[in-house]
Amino acid sequence: MRKSFLSLLSLLMIASMLLAACGTGATTPVAEEPGSEATEEAPSSGGAEEPAAGKRVLNVWAFTNEIRTMAIAFEARYPDVDVVYTMIPMTDGEYQTKLKASIGTADAPDVVALEAAFVKEWVEADFLADLNDLLPLTEELKTYPAVVQVGSHEGVTKAYSYQATPGAFFYRRSIAQECLGTDAPEEVQAMVADMDKFVETAAKIQECNADYFTVGTSAELFNPFLANRAQPWIVDGELVIDPMVVEYIQFAKLMRDNGYESQAQQWTEGWFAGMNDTLVGADGTPKKVFSYFLPTWGLPYVLIPNSTSDTTDTGGDWAMINGPLAYQWGGTWVGAMDGSPNIDLAKEFITFVALDEENLTNWATGVYTNEYLKAIDPTTPDDQAQAAGDFVSSQVVVEKITSTFDGSALYEWLGGQNNYEAFGEAAPRVNGALLTGSDDAIQRALESQRDQYLNGEIDEATMWSQWLDLVRSEFPDLVIPEPPTN
Amino acid sequence: MKLTGINRNYYGYFFIAPFIIGFLVFGLYPVYNTLALSFTDYTLMSRGGSFIGLRNFQVLFADELFVKAIKNTWLIWMLNFIPQIGAALLLSAWFTSVRLKIKAVGVWRAIFYLPNLIIPAVVAALFNSLFAFYGPVNQFMVRAGFLPEAMHFLQNANIARGIVVFIQWWMWFGQTIIIVMAGMTSIPVHLYEAAMVDGASASQMFRRITLPLLKPILIYIFVTSLVGGMQMFEIPYLLTDGRGAPSNSIMTNNILMYMKFASSKGHIGAASAVGVLVFLMTTISALSIFFFMRDRDDSSVDKTARKWFSKKNKS
Repeated sequence: MRKSFLSLLSLLMIASMLLAACGTGATTPVAEEPGSEATEEAPSSGGAEEPAAGKRVLNVWAFTNEIRTMAIAFEARYPDVDVVYTMIPMTDGEYQTKLKASIGTADAPDVVALEAAFVKEWVEADFLADLNDLLPLTEELKTYPAVVQVGSHEGVTKAYSYQATPGAFFYRRSIAQECLGTDAPEEVQAMVADMDKFVETAAKIQECNADYFTVGTSAELFNPFLANRAQPWIVDGELVIDPMVVEYIQFAKLMRDNGYESQAQQWTEGWFAGMNDTLVGADGTPKKVFSYFLPTWGLPYVLIPNSTSDTTDTGGDWAMINGPLAYQWGGTWVGAMDGSPNIDLAKEFITFVALDEENLTNWATGVYTNEYLKAIDPTTPDDQAQAAGDFVSSQVVVEKITSTFDGSALYEWLGGQNNYEAFGEAAPRVNGALLTGSDDAIQRALESQRDQYLNGEIDEATMWSQWLDLVRSEFPDLVIPEPPTN
Repeated sequence: MKLTGINRNYYGYFFIAPFIIGFLVFGLYPVYNTLALSFTDYTLMSRGGSFIGLRNFQVLFADELFVKAIKNTWLIWMLNFIPQIGAALLLSAWFTSVRLKIKAVGVWRAIFYLPNLIIPAVVAALFNSLFAFYGPVNQFMVRAGFLPEAMHFLQNANIARGIVVFIQWWMWFGQTIIIVMAGMTSIPVHLYEAAMVDGASASQMFRRITLPLLKPILIYIFVTSLVGGMQMFEIPYLLTDGRGAPSNSIMTNNILMYMKFASSKGHIGAASAVGVLVFLMTTISALSIFFFMRDRDDSSVDKTARKWFSKKNKS
């Protein structure tokens, strides 16, 4: 019995090697022509809702319920279309994994939503349809160049976005008044206009009160520094360590050594506590944080929800300016799967979502209330709606609607400032050409080494070499340069 | 028994068929497929992929991180396994002792087992916030005067490793206690009574009766813990940045495998190569455990005890 099992096992081993040897990819299950099956079979339901009979069906996959609002609005304009919307959360990469696994199967969606962290990976790969014929619309709407750049690779645009996500610098008016002598946005902007001035201001704030930190963590500035590089991480198969990367590390070290940062890690309790004045040092002394680097979505989703605690409320004490460096952070793009049997309808949908003036205006000004959506589709969930204020990707729309935000709740929260106007100034300055599909791995590898270095666990040379080892391990074919020396 | 014309012998095969089919589809086929994939440069994010021979393995052996991951995995596993089996043996001996007669053993056992019921993601998140810079551990240490000022616990390679070791120990020793106690209670009480009559001390009874008779159970724990330890993933993955930080000190085999998969457009080939090598390493280690802990003939007292025990079992 055992003998025959062993011989069976060895037979299988030999067979596998033979198969692997002559198969050249044919052994792998998904290596066949993707889409070929999808064209033959009827569009599948995607498992979210049953498609209505007699209507054209479009399968949309996304990782939040945001785009569902637009899908319902789309059905109002195209009554013969049924959008089958499937939401798969991004938790632990579930969405990305399911999406990758669906490639080339009958379950593949027609339209996919792609988050900033992985949109470039998809745009660089072979599975999204060429959407270059929608480009003229971006000129009409003056879509911000960074938004189109991120969705393009080697001259082919494969994804568009309804949002632009320029970054901003949010600061506490009371601390500015106390330590800098003014809280006027223009004057504070002049004090943090470049990195040297930023450091000077940080010193001033510390001198004024040693329990005030200029930023929560210098990690918030990683994105802004990277956005101002001359070259992306990878050029012609070689890793590029831009001078801005070295400069950033020196800046972060300076912030740490001088105590200008609270040292709370981003997205941890301590970091959030700074937003509502409940940050308390380990010995019990209360601490305050002067500023946060956050993009458009950071205002409604991060800063405002965390600005109140049981006992404190910092609303109204904030102001926003462009800060020392122009940058962008996050965002959602939409693309169509190559080989989708409904490619024309998919293009209509993408046009509606990202390149339609009326839809973008409705989206940003709070037209899509729950009642509005329920009137179109009575089965709309009760919490489905889009509040006013999301920053859209079209400069034409932004300029038209900016004045409508004067006096809004957000306006009051920012101590009488129109956030839309401020973002509108920042958005055209953003450079989207630097993103590549490998950024996430390279940057996260550097971040963990940076924290070690800042904390004095390792020296700078070790930091660079450990980081390059990590990059080499993940990208064995990449040419790795010598570590930078000062 | 009267023989009928029908041969019922093959009915057994029907009963084991579900397992065999399940094993072939979900056990053997993935192993075979992993092996086949490890010779290719197939990725999820590009079309096609080709046979590249041993290139994946070549790259892997040249990768210092791979060697480091293997060392880390063994170190973390051994540091948590030794205290785990030690604590389990000691507590089980107390709980089953006829002399101590500890009350509410079941309650204690349940309490020790509880950590195992919490999902690893929650445990990792819990320890992450406990040891955060503005977390409760720092607050306590500074206010009690143990530390002059707050420190980044999870930035220190040894502390981070120590926390992983502790979590693994804390989550799994309850499970080990249950198995060890089951083994201990199956040892006949007469042996201990006889030993007591002969004037044996508690430690003598433990070494000469309990340990030898517990050997099959211990081998089982040893092997299952080894297999689990070599696949350690959730806790080190979720405790820091999911990439073995600080300084790759908690980078384990499976984290490396996941990283190979997650970057480079989902390089399944490279990840499979890690999987194949970990599989080989685990198999060889498990087989050597069986080999070195097999029954050897000796003339100590425990042999008599064992013989008596096996005779008793047969009857």
